Amino acid sequence: MINRKWLEEALEAALLGGGDFAEIFAENTKNNVISLVDSKIDRIGDNTVAGVGIRVFSGDKTVYATTTDMSREGLLACAANAAQASRELGKRDRIVLTPMGVVDRHPVVRRFFDAEMKEKTDLLKAACFAARDHSPLISQVQGSLMGVEHSILVANSEGLYREDCHSRTRLIVSATASEGGENQSGFYGPGAGMGLEFFDTVSPAEVGLRAARQAIVNLKADYCEAGQMTVAIENGFGGVIFHEACGHSLEATQVGIGMSEMCGKLGQKIANEKITAIDDGTIVGAWGSVNIDDEGNDTQRNVLIENGILKNYMIDRLGSRRMGMKMTGNSRRESYLYEPTSRMTNTFIDNGPDKNEDIIASIEYGLYAKEMGGGSVNPLTGDFNFSVKEGYMVRNGKICEAVRGASLIGKGSQILQDIDMVGQNLATGQGVCGSSSGSVPTDVGQPLIRVKKITVGGR
Amino acid sequence: MNFEAIKTILEAEADRLGIKEYDIFYVCSEGISAETLKDEIASFSSGVEGGVNFRCIVDGHIGCAGTQLFEEGEIRSLVRRAASNASLIENDEKGIIFGGSESYPELPPLDFKMPSAAEVKDFALEMQKRLYATSEHITDGTCTGRNASSFEMKLYNSKGLDLSYKGAWEMCYAQAVVSVDGESVEGFEFVADCSDKQLDEIPKKATEQAMAKIGAGSVDSGKYKIIIDGKQMRSMLSAFSGVFSGKNALLGLSLLGDKVGERIAADCVSIVDDPLCEWNPMKMSFDGEGVATYKKNVVERGVLKTLLYDLATAERAGVQTTGNGQRTSYAGQVSIRPFAFYIEAGELSDSSLMEKMGDGIYITELKGLHAGLDSVTGDFSLESAGFLVRDGKKAEAVKGFTVAGNFFDLLKNIVAVSSEMKHGGGGSTCFASPDILLPEMSVAGK
Repeated sequence: MINRKWLEEALEAALLGGGDFAEIFAENTKNNVISLVDSKIDRIGDNTVAGVGIRVFSGDKTVYATTTDMSREGLLACAANAAQASRELGKRDRIVLTPMGVVDRHPVVRRFFDAEMKEKTDLLKAACFAARDHSPLISQVQGSLMGVEHSILVANSEGLYREDCHSRTRLIVSATASEGGENQSGFYGPGAGMGLEFFDTVSPAEVGLRAARQAIVNLKADYCEAGQMTVAIENGFGGVIFHEACGHSLEATQVGIGMSEMCGKLGQKIANEKITAIDDGTIVGAWGSVNIDDEGNDTQRNVLIENGILKNYMIDRLGSRRMGMKMTGNSRRESYLYEPTSRMTNTFIDNGPDKNEDIIASIEYGLYAKEMGGGSVNPLTGDFNFSVKEGYMVRNGKICEAVRGASLIGKGSQILQDIDMVGQNLATGQGVCGSSSGSVPTDVGQPLIRVKKITVGGR
Repeated sequence: MNFEAIKTILEAEADRLGIKEYDIFYVCSEGISAETLKDEIASFSSGVEGGVNFRCIVDGHIGCAGTQLFEEGEIRSLVRRAASNASLIENDEKGIIFGGSESYPELPPLDFKMPSAAEVKDFALEMQKRLYATSEHITDGTCTGRNASSFEMKLYNSKGLDLSYKGAWEMCYAQAVVSVDGESVEGFEFVADCSDKQLDEIPKKATEQAMAKIGAGSVDSGKYKIIIDGKQMRSMLSAFSGVFSGKNALLGLSLLGDKVGERIAADCVSIVDDPLCEWNPMKMSFDGEGVATYKKNVVERGVLKTLLYDLATAERAGVQTTGNGQRTSYAGQVSIRPFAFYIEAGELSDSSLMEKMGDGIYITELKGLHAGLDSVTGDFSLESAGFLVRDGKKAEAVKGFTVAGNFFDLLKNIVAVSSEMKHGGGGSTCFASPDILLPEMSVAGK
C-alpha cells in the first residue's frame, strides 16, 4: 500500500520527539451498501475510506496524528506532527522493517466487488420481497446489503511490517407491521467475514421471513409487565448479554485505567461455575474475525472466564504497558481516524451442562427472550441494559403469549452469578459495537441460558 | 490535492461521459484533542481529514460515489461509479440538481482560531488539577480533555451553484470518578466553550454530578410521575427525530405521516428547527443540496405544522423543501435531518416544575437509547437513574430502574416544560430541551 522506505523514514521521524515506540497504520477500505425500501432500490452507498494514522508511545502516554495524504511528503509531515507533540528531543535510530506474512484464515471465494450489481440487487430483493409477501399486515420493508473490503498496513519501530485485506458481507432486513394506527418492528441482520459465498448457506428469503414474522408477533403481542423475573435468553444474538454485562468490563481500555468492576479479579470466581466465556478472533469466516489486529498482532482464542474463574482480559499495546500483561490480539479501531484500543472480536458463552428443555421447564413465571436487541454498559459500575426484540411469557414451565416493549437491566458482576443454567445450542449473532475507537463489527453468542433474577423493564 | 484540481478532473470526466447534471461536495476538516489521566497528558491527537463526493443524474435518478483517496485515477472513477449507481435506483424520487436559492442568510463572521497543541494540553492539565482539587474522593480514571475542529465545506454543481462554508467547534470536558466507601461512580460534563471560566465550572459540575450518585438505591416497580432532565430529553428528541422526516412519513415509517395540521402533543409543547439559532456552534446557511436554511416551527403549541424535507421528498409530497437535506460527510448521501432542534422553553423554573410534580422521580440519566427505543413504533424502555422527589424537593438518589412508554403518547401527555434550556452537541445537528414533566409512567425496579 505504501512504499517501505517511506514508512521507515516516517517511523524514524516520528521518534525524533523522544518517544520509545512508533507505529504507522494505513488503510484503504471500500464500502458498498445497497438499500431498498418500498420494494425499490432506494440508495447506493459507495465510498472509499483511506488514510494514515501515526502513533507514538512514551511509556503509557500516546500521541496520534492522522492524514489523508499518503504521499512521502504527507507521511513525513504527519510523522513530524506526531513527533512535535512530545516535547523532548530524541535521537534518530535507523529502523528496518521486515515484512511478515499473514496467514489468511478467511480467503474470499466470491468477491463482493466483483459480482454484477444485478446479482446483488436480486439477492436483496429476494429477502425484502419474501418479507413483504409474508402477510398483508406487513406495511413496509427496509433492507440493505453491504460489502466491505478493508485493506490495512501496520508498520512499527520494532521492525514489524504486515499487510492484510479483510472482507465482510451483511444482509439486514427490517420489517414494519401495521394495524389500527400502530406500528411494530421485526429485524434480522446476519453477516460474515466472507464474500458473497455467505449466501450459499444463508437464504436471503429466510432472512426476510424471519424479520417479517417477528414484526407480526410484536404487532399481536401485549406490552410486557415490569418487575423482577426469571428470564431465559435464547442463543445467538442473546449473547449480547455477556457482551454488555461483562465483555466491555474485560477490555484493557477500562481495566488498564482502573475503570472496570473487573479490575484486580484475575483468578477469582466472578461467575457461576457453569460459565466459560471466550473471545476468539480466529473463527473462520466469522463477522468479528480478523487475521491480525490493528497493531499487527495475530488474533487468538482467548479464554476469558473458565468455569466461573476470571482467566484473562483483552489487551492491546497500551493496555499491556499499563497492566504489565501480554497483548492478546484484540487491538481494533473503526478506521485510521481513531487510535486503537482493546475491543472484542467474537465473544461468546460456551455450551454448558444443562439441557435446553430443562431450562424452560424450570421457570414457573418469567420471560423467554427469544431475540435480543442491542444495549450498553458502564464498565465502572457494571450497570448494563439491553432491549428484548421478541419475547414470550413463561408460566409453569411452558412458553405462552408474546409480549413486547421489554428491556433487561442489571449489574454485570451480579448477573454473572445469576446465570444459573447454561444450555447446549451455542449460536452466534452479528452486531456493531461502539466504543472509544469507533464502531467495529463483533459477533456475540451463547446457548440458551437462564438468569434466575433480573429486572425487566416493561409497562 | 485542492478543490480546484479535484473539480477540474471531475468536470472533464463528466464531460467525457456525457453527464450533464451533477454536483461535487467536498469537505475538509482539521482537529486537535488532548486528554489527561492522573497529572499528565495521556493522549494527544491531531489530524487532517478530507473527502469528496460526486453525484449525478442518470435516467432521472441520482447516484453518488465518494472517496478519501486523492489520486487522479480514483477521483476520475467517481463519475463512472456515480452514474452506474444512479442507473440502478428505482425509487420514485426525482433526481434534482439545484439551481440555487434567491438568497442565503448571512452568517456572523467566524471568530475562531485553532488552538495550538500547547494551549490545548495546558488547558486540559489545568482543568485536571482543578478537578482533583474539587474533592478528596476523586480517584483513578478521572480525566479532562479539550477538542477543537475546523471544517471547510464546498458545494459546486453543473448549474453554476458555488457555495462555501467554514465552521469550527471546540469543547472541553471533565470526567470525575469518585470513590466513597468502596463505591465508585463517575460524573461527566462537557461544554462547547473553552474560556477560562470553564476551568472551574466544568470540574465543579462533574464532581457534583458524581457525588450525587453515591449511595443511589433502587426503586420499587410501579407507576410514578416523572420529570425528564432537559439533557436527557434532548437525547430522546435526537433519537426520535426521524419521526419528523418527510421521507419516513411517505414510507409509512413515521406515525406522524398523515398528521400535519393535527394535534400531536400537549398544548405546552412547541418544537423548532432553527439552523441559525444563537447556541448552534455550526450555523449553516445552506443544506447539503444548496438550499437556503431557515427557522421553522415544526410543532406549534401541540399542533404539527410541518415535517422536514429535502428536494426529492418535497417534490414527491407536493410541498416546498424545508432545506433539511443534510450531508454530514463526504461518504454520506443527502438525508433529512434537523440542524438545531429543540423543545421551546416554558414558564416554570426547574425547581418550580419539581414543586408542581410533588412526588415522583427526576430522571438525570437515560441509557441504551440506541437500542431501547424504536422510532417506527415510538416504543421505548430505557435504563434510568436520577433521584426521588418528595413534596417537590430532591430526595435520595436512585438508579437501576427502567422507564417505559411510547414517544407519541409521551408528547401528548407532557404536563409542563420548564424555562431552563439545556443545550448540547455539536457537529451537524444539535438538540436542546428544557426539563419536562410527565404524568404517571411505568417504572420497573425492585
